[in-house]
Amino acid sequence: MSIGEIIETTSTAFVAESFELNSPPPLGSLVVVQVSSETGTSTGLDLYAVVIYGQTVGLDPSRRAVRRSTDKVFDAAIYDQHPQLEHTLRTEFGAALVGFVADSVVRQHLPSQPPPLHYSVHTASVEQVRRFTNSLHYLRLLLVPHGEVPPPQVLAANVREVYQQRGVDRLWLDAAAREIATLLQSDHQALLTVLYSIDPGKVSPSTVRGGQI
Amino acid sequence: MSQNRLGVVVDGAFNAGLTVRLDSRITTEQLRIGNFVVVEGQQNRYFSLISDIHLKATDPRLLADPPRDPSPFIAQALAGTSTYATVEVRPMLMLEKADESDVDALFEERGGPEPVRTIPMHFAELREATELDFSTVFGQEGGANFAMGTPLAMDIPICLRLDRFVERSNGVFGQSGTGKSFLARLLISGVIKTKIAVNLIFDMHDEYSFDKQTEDGHWVKGLRQIFGSQVLIYALDEAMGRRRGRNVDVTLKIGLNQIEEADIVLLSQELNLRQTAEATIGLLRDAFRQQWLLKLLQMTPEELGEFCKGSGAHPASMASLQRNLKRLQRQDYVVDEATFSALDDMVEALDRGKHVILQFGRYNSVLDYVLVSNLVTRRVRQRYEEKTRRYEETKEVADKPRPLMITIEEAHKFLNPAVARQTTFGTIAREMRKYNVTLLVIDQRPSGIDPEVMSQLGTRVSGKLTEERDIEAVLTGVSNRSALRGALTSLNTRQQILIMGHAVPMPIVMRTRQYDERFYQAMGARVETSQDAQTDILDLFGDP
Repeated sequence: MSIGEIIETTSTAFVAESFELNSPPPLGSLVVVQVSSETGTSTGLDLYAVVIYGQTVGLDPSRRAVRRSTDKVFDAAIYDQHPQLEHTLRTEFGAALVGFVADSVVRQHLPSQPPPLHYSVHTASVEQVRRFTNSLHYLRLLLVPHGEVPPPQVLAANVREVYQQRGVDRLWLDAAAREIATLLQSDHQALLTVLYSIDPGKVSPSTVRGGQI
Repeated sequence: MSQNRLGVVVDGAFNAGLTVRLDSRITTEQLRIGNFVVVEGQQNRYFSLISDIHLKATDPRLLADPPRDPSPFIAQALAGTSTYATVEVRPMLMLEKADESDVDALFEERGGPEPVRTIPMHFAELREATELDFSTVFGQEGGANFAMGTPLAMDIPICLRLDRFVERSNGVFGQSGTGKSFLARLLISGVIKTKIAVNLIFDMHDEYSFDKQTEDGHWVKGLRQIFGSQVLIYALDEAMGRRRGRNVDVTLKIGLNQIEEADIVLLSQELNLRQTAEATIGLLRDAFRQQWLLKLLQMTPEELGEFCKGSGAHPASMASLQRNLKRLQRQDYVVDEATFSALDDMVEALDRGKHVILQFGRYNSVLDYVLVSNLVTRRVRQRYEEKTRRYEETKEVADKPRPLMITIEEAHKFLNPAVARQTTFGTIAREMRKYNVTLLVIDQRPSGIDPEVMSQLGTRVSGKLTEERDIEAVLTGVSNRSALRGALTSLNTRQQILIMGHAVPMPIVMRTRQYDERFYQAMGARVETSQDAQTDILDLFGDP
């Protein structure tokens, strides 16, 4: 499903404007940019990126939004009262590039070219998520800070999203947790931040192995 | 990646061993000090022992501030990544790798594993040993290979090379209750079965000949019951021979004329002798030769005084010596005069391939045991020396003396540093290999044995030991002591032993073989315990 259009692009990340106001894709979710092949000999590239932030601002960056709510009109009703808001505000989101699929091969490193400006951004289907996240090397690319959200939070958000999209795949979650533990081994506070926020909580004991620390 | 992979080599030195980081799915609780493991190098396979296990963390702050309420999920994520374990591994033997598909043929060509000369590179894989590894290193059962037991977690035999075993003196050690006498029985059974040597067993507590109740309550057979007339029973105690179904072949008497100065010196503690006793005995011997003890005991106080005047001996020490030595005369098996014929017959029986157990019966005090064992062994040793000399002259295969293994218990009584130089056993332990006589030393306090003797022991079989000095003693002259020390202290009290030395390619911890019906059958035991008369007649009168 197409959800936005790229309005700023670099080799590591891009910013897209969301088609729908106030509904950027979930933090940490995977999005896909389809780039058709220029030569036509191959089937083209699917660039994969992880959403690293979302924001809604005015069209004119020099003008700050003002309060619109009254005693009776608040929250969603404000938008009904002020239909012009749909045209003066915009929602955008950033996504960090984590890999691509070329000729049906999943590659988890930066693509050679940034995604073209004004191309559409799609949500990744469950099948695409499943396929891309079978390997966990892409998590390394999320360690680099891109926006205001700290990398551990982006990592955690991504793992939570993928865990759900893979149908509560506990084996995958355990593998991801170990991968993150390896990646963040020199910073155990950051590691614990991630682990606490991806801990699925109490599950049936039969699926939990391992002992005390 | 193999199924039983444990981790990869990350550090090491030839002299210090290898450090292996364990895979995250392996817990340290799966591993034991002394486990037999294999490192797969690129060209060689290294048969190794685990010598130590460490817990580590990538970030020391994690250890200073462990997660306060780790859920199982977090514990599992951290285990093996931020917190991990390493094991220290000691390569003991190496084997050049061959085409995996044709292992057996190539093993034979290359003649088995060799001492370690190199170490593997980084990230060589460590794995649990497989059955094939065990049989590569310890060989297959059969021939001179005697199955001693099985690995702790597997059911395949670990073999001892008995031909190498009897080449040197050996030791069986362990705290009391670790089954030393069962171990000795296993070893002796193996030697009897394979006919590699003949045995002379000084059986202080009547444990070897006939059935005996174990600590957990069931009865196990003795060597006579398993091997029948191949085993001859000698006894000091006439009453022993009268018990039902427990035939004694010969009742042994010791003559006062056979007791020598060295025997008495060995007993100075038991007999309460003073330091002057040795000199006094010397004077007596000068005067009376072999009859010295008999004469001394027969002397009246007047005769004693006269002897002192004539020889210059001190009257008081003469009198106390006489008093103390009277105790010997009071033992029923001691007679005034005896010939060596019984002992010489015994040596002949050994030469015919019979095995001899000398039972002490009621006379199981240290005094009896030390006196008789030393005396008998001295005679046996003399005869063996003569035989060896004759063999060296004639070079006839028929004259070659059969290798003899002498089993002694409470070995520290004969082999402690104070007396080891004077006893026949000390001599045998140090140099008698050339006369084809070796010892099987059984003791629970190896620290009491002369270090020089300990270092001469070829193969050491040890049950659990906890006393630091005993562990030190057992490991005298062994390389890689740190690994083995850990293994020794972590053995179970029952049925687990560490074998190291000449008869095994590398030290190994094992579960000992069951001493049960299956064992009796494997040893060729007769179903009927009663002896058939024909073989008894042969025993008494020799082969026609």
